[in-house]
Amino acid sequence: MLMCRDLAGIASDYIDGELTSRQNLSVKMHLMMCKDCRTFIGNLRASTDLMKAHSSGRPDEEFMRRIDERVAEALKTWKPEDGDKE
Amino acid sequence: MGTTAHPDPQSSLIDDLKRGDPSAYKEAVREYSPGMLAVARFYLDHSSAEEVVQDCWVTVIDAIQKFEGRSGLKTWLHRIVANRCKNKLRTSNREVATDFSESLDPELADRFNAKGRWDLPPRLKFHESADTLMENDALSGCLDKHLSALPETQRSALMLYEAHQHKSEDVCNILDVSASNLRVLLHRARQKIFLMVETFQETGEC
Repeated sequence: MLMCRDLAGIASDYIDGELTSRQNLSVKMHLMMCKDCRTFIGNLRASTDLMKAHSSGRPDEEFMRRIDERVAEALKTWKPEDGDKE
Repeated sequence: MGTTAHPDPQSSLIDDLKRGDPSAYKEAVREYSPGMLAVARFYLDHSSAEEVVQDCWVTVIDAIQKFEGRSGLKTWLHRIVANRCKNKLRTSNREVATDFSESLDPELADRFNAKGRWDLPPRLKFHESADTLMENDALSGCLDKHLSALPETQRSALMLYEAHQHKSEDVCNILDVSASNLRVLLHRARQKIFLMVETFQETGEC
């Protein structure tokens, strides 16, 4: 039988739909009976969403500018290959 | 194979890059560099990683001429970064050290009794939505702190998978890890964030 500790070990696979159907079923059975694990799965899922919301965007503008400079410098001497079509 | 006309914005960006259009480069640098940096950080320290990403953009100017669009632009760029990092590691003889042996975070593992039941179950339900939680500056700062404290391997896996929304298969390719090891990296990283949010909700402290 699946114990809470086992479930905690495969919780991400459950969230991402990466379990086999048999494993998935035993997780679902466990969750029906165990409030603590339901809270755990809910919170782990919330943490994942939080991570997603937090890391989208926020590029370091100073770093981007340094890349812009390098690219602009390289583009100055860059020539499209011969024979390219207009 | 004939060329098909794609009306999607990415293919017009690719055309502009091929023509060497500086503003297309500016746009692409902003769009793709954060992900490229996440890939590089899997292999290298912060300053070497930034250096590699800069170098990659310069090589992209020529390399993009041969880009046929079989993979997406993002995946293609991430592969260039990964290859460059691997070469750099090879020359400096450094290995990426990663522990894939255990999928449970030790701090979480301690919260179960010998029978495998919760000894110290999750105390609170995180009920607010991610967007509402992110409006909390203190929490956002705390998340930054904890993300940067994650082992690089976990952080890069998390970034590529969650923030840059790569498919598992692509992440495995780019980072050179097996599918099962990727699962371990992701799960370990998420548990750390879970533990952090829990502490923050309970104590208000990071």
